[in-house]
Amino acid sequence: MVRKEIKILNKYGLHTRPATALVTLVSKFKSDVFLEYKGVKINAKSILGLLVLAVEPGANLIVEANGVDEQEVVDDLDRLAQQKFNLE
Amino acid sequence: MKTIKGVKISSGVVSGPIFYFERGKLTVPKHFIREEDFDSELERFNTAIRKSKNELTQVRDLVHNHLDEDHARIIEAQLLAVQDEEMITAVRELMVRERKNVTWAYFDVMDDYEKLLLKTLSQFFKERTVDLKDIKKRVIYHLSHEKDVIQPEILKPSIIVAEKMSPSDLMHIDHKLTLGIITRYGGVDSHAGILARAFRVPYISNINRIQEIVSYSEIILDADNETILLDITDDIKASYESRIQDFRSHRDNIISDKVANSTKDGVPYHIFLNAGFVDEVKAMDPALIQGIGLFRTEFLCIERNSIPDESDQFQAYKAVLEKMNDLPVVFRVYDFGRDKLLAMLDLEILQEDHIFDEWGGIGFLLDNPEILKAQLRAILRASAYGNTQIMLPLVMFVEEVVRTKEILEAIKSELKREGLAFAENIELGAMIETSSVLEELDELAKHVDFFSIGTNDLALYLLGSGRMTDLTKNYYHPKIFRAIDKVIKAGNKAGIPVDVCGEMASDPYALIGLTAIGIRSISVSSSALAAVSDEVSKIDVQQCSILVDSILSADDTFTIYSQLKKFYHEQLE
Repeated sequence: MVRKEIKILNKYGLHTRPATALVTLVSKFKSDVFLEYKGVKINAKSILGLLVLAVEPGANLIVEANGVDEQEVVDDLDRLAQQKFNLE
Repeated sequence: MKTIKGVKISSGVVSGPIFYFERGKLTVPKHFIREEDFDSELERFNTAIRKSKNELTQVRDLVHNHLDEDHARIIEAQLLAVQDEEMITAVRELMVRERKNVTWAYFDVMDDYEKLLLKTLSQFFKERTVDLKDIKKRVIYHLSHEKDVIQPEILKPSIIVAEKMSPSDLMHIDHKLTLGIITRYGGVDSHAGILARAFRVPYISNINRIQEIVSYSEIILDADNETILLDITDDIKASYESRIQDFRSHRDNIISDKVANSTKDGVPYHIFLNAGFVDEVKAMDPALIQGIGLFRTEFLCIERNSIPDESDQFQAYKAVLEKMNDLPVVFRVYDFGRDKLLAMLDLEILQEDHIFDEWGGIGFLLDNPEILKAQLRAILRASAYGNTQIMLPLVMFVEEVVRTKEILEAIKSELKREGLAFAENIELGAMIETSSVLEELDELAKHVDFFSIGTNDLALYLLGSGRMTDLTKNYYHPKIFRAIDKVIKAGNKAGIPVDVCGEMASDPYALIGLTAIGIRSISVSSSALAAVSDEVSKIDVQQCSILVDSILSADDTFTIYSQLKKFYHEQLE
C-alpha cells in the first residue's frame, strides 16, 4: 500500500473538470485507489463520489493505492495535481 | 374573458384541460422484484448503461470535434458518471436489500447523489456541475424502452403547458392525448415546431404567463389567431365549437382522395409528401399519393437521442421504401449543424449556452465522414427495395457535391465487393437554401439530377435577422421570389427539375406565386396535403401567369402579399 498527501491548487478546487481528469487518470491503473478528505474516504475511480466530496481549493488530500501499480498511480496523480490537472 | 397573445408555431384550434409538463420530471415505475427476476433486471441495467455509454462516447467525440474541449470535458464527466462503479454497486445493493426494481433503485441512488451534489453547488457556483438529470434521463430511457412508461403520464386529452419543449420531449409524449402545446420559449423554425406541425398539434409560444394559464381548468388554444382564451364561458365555447370541430376532422383526416396531378387547365403538377417518421409513412395509403419528396432522416436521431447505426437506419429506410411501393422517396441526408445537433441530442447543459451558427447540412457531414458513410451505405442498401433518391441539405459549394459523389461511388464498389444489392441509378439532388450556392447554380446543375428549394432556411440566409418571427410573412418577400425564379431558370437551362420542399408551398397565397413563376412540383407535410391538392386542382396556370412580372419586380413584401391574396379570393374561392 502506498499513501501520499497531495495538494489541490486549482482555483475552484476539484470541480467537474479537474475531477474528470483525476478519475480518468486513476481509472487507467489496476490498483484500487482511495482519496481521503475531511475524514471521508472514497473510491477515486468514482466521479460521483469525488464530486460529492467537494474538495476545496488549497485542500490536502490523502491518496491511498493498493495493487500492482500502486506507486505509479500515486506519483502520476501527485504530478497531475501539481500541474493543476492541466486546466489553469 | 381573459386572453393572452403569443406567437403561432403550429396552426389549429382546440379546447381542453391543462397538463403542466415539467422537464426532467419522470414517472418512475415502482414495484418489488422476485428473487428469480433479479438477474434479468440486472442484465437490463447493464444493457442500459452500455447503450448510454456508447451514445455519450459518440456525443463526446462530436462535441470535441465541433464545439470545444471545455464542453467535451463536461460530456466526459457524464460518461464517467453513467458508468460509475460505486453508483452501480449501490444500485445492486438496493435491489438486493429492498427488492426494488432496477429503475426505482437507480432513481433512488441518483437522487441521493443529486441531493449531495446540490450541497456542493455554492462552492462551485461559478462552474457548471455535471448534470445528473441528463444522465438519468438517458439511462432510464434505455431501461424503460420496452417495459415501462416513463414519460409524464397524461391521463386524458390535454393541452400541454411547459416552459419549453425539446424535440425529444415532444417525440416521447403521447400524441393521441396531446391536444395542443403552449410554451414560454420556442421558435417557429425550431425542430420542436416542425414536429408539432408534422403531428398537427396546435402550438403557441412566447407566453410569459405560463403559471397563470396553469391555474385554469379549461382553456381554448386558438393558434390560428395566436390567442389563448382563459376563463371561457359557455357562450364563447359555443361560438368556437364549429372551428374546433373543423380542425378536429382536418387533423384526423390524413387524405381521402388521390392527390391532384394537374392544375385546372391540365398542366401536370407533382405534389409530394414531406415526412420524417416511419410510422407517419406507414399510415399513408400509397395509392393516394405520388411519393415522398422529402424524408427528414434526422428525425430518426431525435427519436433516439443519438445517431442510429447503419443497420437501424437500413431497416427504417427499407420500411419506408417498401410501404411506398416503387413511388419515389427522396432521402435527405442528416440536416444538422451544431445547434440542431445539440437540440437533437437533448443535452440540457449544452443548450444553456445558446450556440447558434449557420454551419450544418452536407458541410457538417463531410467533416464527419463516418456519419455520412454509414448513412449513405444504409440508403444504398435500402435502395434495393424501392425507388430511391438522395438529397443533400444546405449545399454551399459545388465541391461538396463532388466530394459526396466520390464517397457514393466508393461505397458502391464496397457494396459490390461485399455482394450487397443496391439500385445502380440513384438520382442525386441539391437543396438550394444558401446565398452562396445561388451564385453557383449553373455549375452545380452539371453535377446533380435535381434542385430542391428549402424555403425556411432560404429565408434565414437571404433575410437574416431582418426576417419576421412569423415565418409565413417571409414567404412573400421579393428577395425570396427572385431567388426562386433564379433557381427555376438555372434548372430549365440545364434541363433538370426544380421543386419546392419548404413550408412555403403549403401557404395558400404563396403557392399561387410559386406556380405563377413556374414551379410545377412541391412537397408538403401530410397535414397540408389535402388543402394543397384541392388548391392545385383549382389553379389556372394560364391565368396566374399574369402575376409574374409584378411579383418579380415588386419592392416590398406587402405588395406581393396583397396581390396573391386578391388573386386567391377572386379566382379560387
